Amino acid sequence: MLCMYRNASPLWLDMAALIRGLRAGRALRGLGGVAVQGTLSPQCSNVRRGFHRAALLRLASDSKSDTSVPPPSYREVHTAGESSSSSAQGESSEDAQPNTSFQDQSGEHGEDYETEEQLQARILTAALEFVSQHGWTVEAIAAGAETLGLSSASTGMFNNGAGDLVLHFVAQCNAQLAETLAEQNNQVQLGQAESKKTGEFLKDAVETRLRMLVPYIDTWPQAMSILLLPHNIPDSLKHLSTMVDDIWYYAGDRSTDVNWYTRRAALTGIYNTTELVMVQDSSPDFEETWAFLDNRIKDVVNMANTAKQVQATGEAVVQGLMGAAITLKNLTGMNQRR
Amino acid sequence: MHRFVRPQLLLRDSKQPLLPTAGQLCTNHKSVVSSVRGYVVLPPTNDEEEKAMLHRMMRVDHAGEYGANRIYAGQMAVLGHTQISPLIQEMWDQEKQHLRKFNEILAENRVRPTLLLPLWNIAGFALGAGSALLGKEGAMACTVAVEESISEHYNCQIRTLMEKDPEKYTELLQLIKEFRDDEMEHHDTGLEHDAESVPGYQLMKAIIQAGCKAAICVSESL
Repeated sequence: MLCMYRNASPLWLDMAALIRGLRAGRALRGLGGVAVQGTLSPQCSNVRRGFHRAALLRLASDSKSDTSVPPPSYREVHTAGESSSSSAQGESSEDAQPNTSFQDQSGEHGEDYETEEQLQARILTAALEFVSQHGWTVEAIAAGAETLGLSSASTGMFNNGAGDLVLHFVAQCNAQLAETLAEQNNQVQLGQAESKKTGEFLKDAVETRLRMLVPYIDTWPQAMSILLLPHNIPDSLKHLSTMVDDIWYYAGDRSTDVNWYTRRAALTGIYNTTELVMVQDSSPDFEETWAFLDNRIKDVVNMANTAKQVQATGEAVVQGLMGAAITLKNLTGMNQRR
Repeated sequence: MHRFVRPQLLLRDSKQPLLPTAGQLCTNHKSVVSSVRGYVVLPPTNDEEEKAMLHRMMRVDHAGEYGANRIYAGQMAVLGHTQISPLIQEMWDQEKQHLRKFNEILAENRVRPTLLLPLWNIAGFALGAGSALLGKEGAMACTVAVEESISEHYNCQIRTLMEKDPEKYTELLQLIKEFRDDEMEHHDTGLEHDAESVPGYQLMKAIIQAGCKAAICVSESL
């Protein structure tokens, strides 16, 4: 069994291989699957491992509801186990994961191995539940890591600490918003829903996005101040601009001139001011916030209409002046073709 | 596959361009980002760097066509009632078509247009009008300089895309080649109509080309 892992050079990997080899033996017996022979050539065993991996993952995904595969190294410290309804089959397939993912540690990352980013995302998502308790801090991340069975020292993974948590939350909300908007758009394209006017669409989109803050509204000022820290500003601006771009895109904006900028700037202003109103709003269900939002959107729509009218008037005035100039030229006889 | 031979003075109907006529978003279409066309110019990609590169290219091309539009508008404003006006009008119409195409691409692929568009608006119009005030030869000289810059820029882009992956960027390459051929035609037309006989031709050409190069550089990122 161990000669399968001869490809890995570091000593500690050999030790881990020993442990995984033992586990793999148990798993393969449990599966009643193919017997792996040590005499196989490396390529053959790789292919064989690939099939094992696929089969085990299929079992894992069938038995568990979440999609990410837990990394093997953390399984060893895992005490409580997943709270999901893991059947015996699920248990054995989960134990067998270490077998399949080891090869990835020594070599390239396979698609079926959880990357560090995925793990970080899982920890941060779990940490969100502790924000009301600990605030947007590293303690919340530690608490989240502990619910996943990892030690609280995993917060060392996050160089930015609380900033990582807030940015993760913002990214999550924006992704959710984009999904909602795309779904609504599909509905409209399929004719199952009426398309909204621009003002109403913007209002609904901003309201949808801001409502995602409601569970965390008490600690949101802390999060906002974290986002304003100098080293977080590039990321938070990026998230904000992507969100505003998404909203305008689904609102139907296809402009390719300076309007692209003015519209996004206007919506950014609306969003930020409404967010500020929301954090100090104590009315039931944030009625005052939505009323404020409504008024701001109306202002912007009015401004846009006024701008259009001014432009039309300006053009008419120019036409009039040109007509007057040509009449003058005719009268004075200057309008001769050279 | 060079489809177009350069005629002396081409008429609108004789060309069979790749550009389709309809560019509106079809409201009956199920997917969000689609038009009536069957093909997509920019290949869809998940690689951030590649996407950024393609967006930069489209941004600067869009800015270029917008500027060219304004230059011809300026020239027409001054020379609109002279003998040369049908020629300038025709070249302008072609540039309008190019601009429409880039507008479509930008809208579909959610590319940000350059922030300096108002600047190119004014600068282009001023350049066109200013060169036209030197007479028909001045206007032609300006056309020659600008079209040469733009052709060179398109050639650079074609080289870059060919180096990367000619097969992946087939449609995009086709589009840029077509536009480059159009711009070369304008360049040749300008030369034919006594562009070089304007006093200070070399100086004027050098200044305009330097300006174009700077504009291209800046519009890529800003």
